[in-house]
Amino acid sequence: MSILQQLKNAVRQRSIHVCYVNTGSCNGCDIEILACLAPKYDIEQYGIYVHNNPREADVILITGGMSPQWIDKLPDLWDRVPEPKAVVTIGNCPISGCVFNRPGTLIDPPVSKYIPVTAAVPGCPPRPSEIISAILGAADILFKDYEVHQKEKEGSVKK
Amino acid sequence: MKKVVDVSLPVGPIHPCFKEPCRIKCETRGERVVTTEVELGYVKKGIEKIMIGRPWQETIFLAERVCGICSVVHNTVIVEALEKISGITVPRRAELLRLILNELDRIQSHLLANYSYCYTIEHETLGMYLLNLRETAMDSIEMMTGTRIMAAYVVPGGVREDLSADNAAKILEATYHIETELKRFVKMFETGPMIGLRSKGIGVLSMEDALASGVVGPTARASGLSRDARKDDPLYIEMGWHMITRTESDNYARIMLRFDELFQSLTLIRNGIAALEPGKIRNGGEMKAGRIKHTIEAPRGDLTYEIEIDSAGQVVYVSIQTPSIPNIEVATHAMMKNLASAADVTSTFISADPCIACAER
Repeated sequence: MSILQQLKNAVRQRSIHVCYVNTGSCNGCDIEILACLAPKYDIEQYGIYVHNNPREADVILITGGMSPQWIDKLPDLWDRVPEPKAVVTIGNCPISGCVFNRPGTLIDPPVSKYIPVTAAVPGCPPRPSEIISAILGAADILFKDYEVHQKEKEGSVKK
Repeated sequence: MKKVVDVSLPVGPIHPCFKEPCRIKCETRGERVVTTEVELGYVKKGIEKIMIGRPWQETIFLAERVCGICSVVHNTVIVEALEKISGITVPRRAELLRLILNELDRIQSHLLANYSYCYTIEHETLGMYLLNLRETAMDSIEMMTGTRIMAAYVVPGGVREDLSADNAAKILEATYHIETELKRFVKMFETGPMIGLRSKGIGVLSMEDALASGVVGPTARASGLSRDARKDDPLYIEMGWHMITRTESDNYARIMLRFDELFQSLTLIRNGIAALEPGKIRNGGEMKAGRIKHTIEAPRGDLTYEIEIDSAGQVVYVSIQTPSIPNIEVATHAMMKNLASAADVTSTFISADPCIACAER
């Protein structure tokens, strides 16, 4: 492994930019993400920054079970996120729709139908500590040796 | 008349200042924002539609998930409506526990609203102080109900769990902690020169506009209107509740009014805990058919549920009127008009404490 790659791995481990997208949740998960910012949980000590700007995000947190307005907008938003990127869904809604997935509803879960999902945190809502551990866990696997994996992928396509 | 507009500036749906997605279209002339328009519909789930035709037991959990910030009050209002239909009485201890939990919920909601405002005007230090103080209130809620949000604590006939004397003492301790800390933060907000520049005289909602628009909650009370559903509640009057209003009617007044209400909520919790007497926490009863309209004061204003259930226990009709609907409208049409800077759009909008999930359901 090159020195540059080692440096990239070390930097990416402690610099994760997060954007949260509410695709029809009830706010419960969103304010648990906000609670992570509080000095009690202090998400920034792990190098996670909540910017809420998709153009500079590494990890997109999705709460909510896909309301009709988001069906065309979410793939667009996903395209605008620079590589390497990952999606972590928070709460039951993106997985199954939770209590809203009943006859007469407008939402259309799961979110994985529309964009690739890396990790999911179940719970209605999950605790802040679970959200932090999920982001850290997913980011470590995804962003480590990202370039090496990309080259391997490209090589296999050419062959 | 032809409007002279330079740029149409969209804000959102994903924006660093917003907790929830919504789009504000601003028409600007130079730096001045002439008019704004709020575009909603990003979190519409159709909760009322899902509720119809389901047994009333399920609607309690659905009502709780209308809004994650003020889930306790949605739970309380639907349960009180169902109790009124069937004539179920609630023991006094349960009533007091409901009051204590509702006021704890109001504390965390108001602290979150003020955090959002401080964050929007780029005063992150004070925002983080307030957010950290909110965790004390959340810990008290967790101690009382067993979970942070979506507790389903209020059940027909009473409450789900009793509050032990140890936990009551801990909540009492938490209220004193919040009070001492909050006094410092209020002083910081009152005397901060930069905060004053960004808040005073901006987003003014005059009393005439407020009267005409039907605005509710802290936004109405900051404009001098005495609108609060708690004034009709004998238990709140007994616990020493009184109407708080302010007359400046700008962003500063709305935030300061929430700080004033926080101190009142702390007093109410203390009085509630002092009045607790040992006894039953839940009465029995039988559900009957009927229709009722019930209003209580949510952290953001009057919350009304109109619900009808048939003899089989199914919900036939339900309509939820949340406080954010008039508040968002009045923010668009009265407060965010003729603002001096585009930066004031988000701060004025946040100062009305809009809850998009409540408004769209």
